[in-house]
Amino acid sequence: MEKNYYVCTGCGLLCDDIEVESEKNIINKVYTACRVGVAHMKKAKGETNFLVNNKPVDEATAVREAASILKNAKNPLIFGLGTSTDETQILAIELAKKTNATLDDTSSFCLGPLVEALLKDKLKTCTLEDIRNKADVIIFWGADPSDSHPRHLSKHSYFPRGSEKQKGWEEERTAIAIDIRKSHTAKICGNYFFQIPPGGDTEFIDALIAALSGKLPKTSYNFPPKKILELANILKGAKFGVIFAGLGLIYSLEDLEPVFRLMKILNEKANFHLVPMVGHYNMRGFNENLFAETGYVNRVKFEDGMVKHGPEYSVVESLKAKTVDAALIIGSDPLSSLPRSVSKNLLEIPVISIDPCETLTSKHAKVYINTAISGVESGGSATRMDGTKVSFKPVVETIHPSDEAILKKIMEAV
Amino acid sequence: MDFGSFLSAPEINIKIVTYRDIFQDKAMIENRFGEEYRDRSAILKLDPADLKQLSIKAGDTVILKNSLGKIVVKAEESGYETPHRGIAYMPNSPWSNMLVSDETGGTGVPRFKDISATVTSAKGEKVTELRF
Ligand code: SF4
Repeated sequence: MEKNYYVCTGCGLLCDDIEVESEKNIINKVYTACRVGVAHMKKAKGETNFLVNNKPVDEATAVREAASILKNAKNPLIFGLGTSTDETQILAIELAKKTNATLDDTSSFCLGPLVEALLKDKLKTCTLEDIRNKADVIIFWGADPSDSHPRHLSKHSYFPRGSEKQKGWEEERTAIAIDIRKSHTAKICGNYFFQIPPGGDTEFIDALIAALSGKLPKTSYNFPPKKILELANILKGAKFGVIFAGLGLIYSLEDLEPVFRLMKILNEKANFHLVPMVGHYNMRGFNENLFAETGYVNRVKFEDGMVKHGPEYSVVESLKAKTVDAALIIGSDPLSSLPRSVSKNLLEIPVISIDPCETLTSKHAKVYINTAISGVESGGSATRMDGTKVSFKPVVETIHPSDEAILKKIMEAV
Repeated sequence: MDFGSFLSAPEINIKIVTYRDIFQDKAMIENRFGEEYRDRSAILKLDPADLKQLSIKAGDTVILKNSLGKIVVKAEESGYETPHRGIAYMPNSPWSNMLVSDETGGTGVPRFKDISATVTSAKGEKVTELRF
């Protein structure tokens, strides 16, 4: 019998080998997925469908109210979309143009700069399949996939027997963790865990570059030079190296310049790639879709056919400066995920929340539309963390509309 | 007479480093307003020496305070072998976000993983509820 595999949209890995057992559109069993993936696919949905001012309404009323909020705003913010399909994202970009909106996503305060550098070919990268088949030196830098992307090490980066790595991790792969805390991933890396102090990443990069150039590596926090020299030696010997760059690294750098320098020397001495540890299943897709349309990966403001870009159009700065006067939030919960000192300003403007689950943001929204869970109850396409395109079909049917269907209707009504 | 009650509870300055946790993520997906998510989010992992200095034991609640806000969370022992006095760890969550500054230097990137606060014993006060 032919097997039916599904894609899990629980994180940026988009695992495509998931099997499920379902009955009457309820998923009873999920095989192959991790703990997070199983929870994601079996998530029970609330009863609520459409709310305006926290009162149940029909779809048409909710859509009409959402459209009127957007029409009446001078500078609405459209934010979220990391857990939406490409199709939904492209519609959201159109809607932003039509409503002269500020448009941003979570990459604005996480891995956006890295994805931008990759899209502009400033860093060498590769696919997860390349890594499974060829990688011999794997660095997790400020990243803990054992918690954030649970099947990363087992399916792709460390444990599998790849086509050119038949002896596997025991003999042919070295996993290295550079972090400020001994994460679950760092534990797996054993002696190759390099613990640095908070904010110590730039200095560590400089010391590593020194060691790679045959100089004595120095840090103000006295990291043992011998250990850095040992690390440099391992990296120099890499036939197919990869750095998985996580938030821990990005948050500790002022800009990406040290990463560019490190990648340059690593590719003079050996062969190294960089892959960003994208969390939301289609954050990278948002960056790519917006880049194709505007040349920017996030933080844009549309105005009469023109597009402006800059930190002032980021979700954080525009909420802080109160330059936006309404918000359409799609598949995101900024009242939980942003600093409260910033997100509290959302309480002063009308908010439309389009989300498959009730959140702090949806509870404080003027309009709430409960949509299908993207990837479980509705299909489409997305970009995996390494840039690979993945398409998926819904696993079960639902009465809830997809965010794509809702955006289409709002678009027609504005 | 109990002179102890006149002495102010010991207070220490700490840097809080946030991180992600798979069990907490799973709990959030299942119910972000549920008890399990709160129990796995509103926690602070301290160095045993810091717990001692605060005269509290693992499982007691503590008050975390800075200019942005005040929250009550449960203190735990971190279990890391390397001592880390003055640094505490907390899963990234709406609770940790209550203490994150809006000071970004105009970059649009808050310092989510770099929070400074003071810790004191909460003397049995309950963990902060998730609401606005
Ligand atoms: S690793 Fe990510 S994509 Fe794969 S099953 Fe787990 S949550 Fe789903």
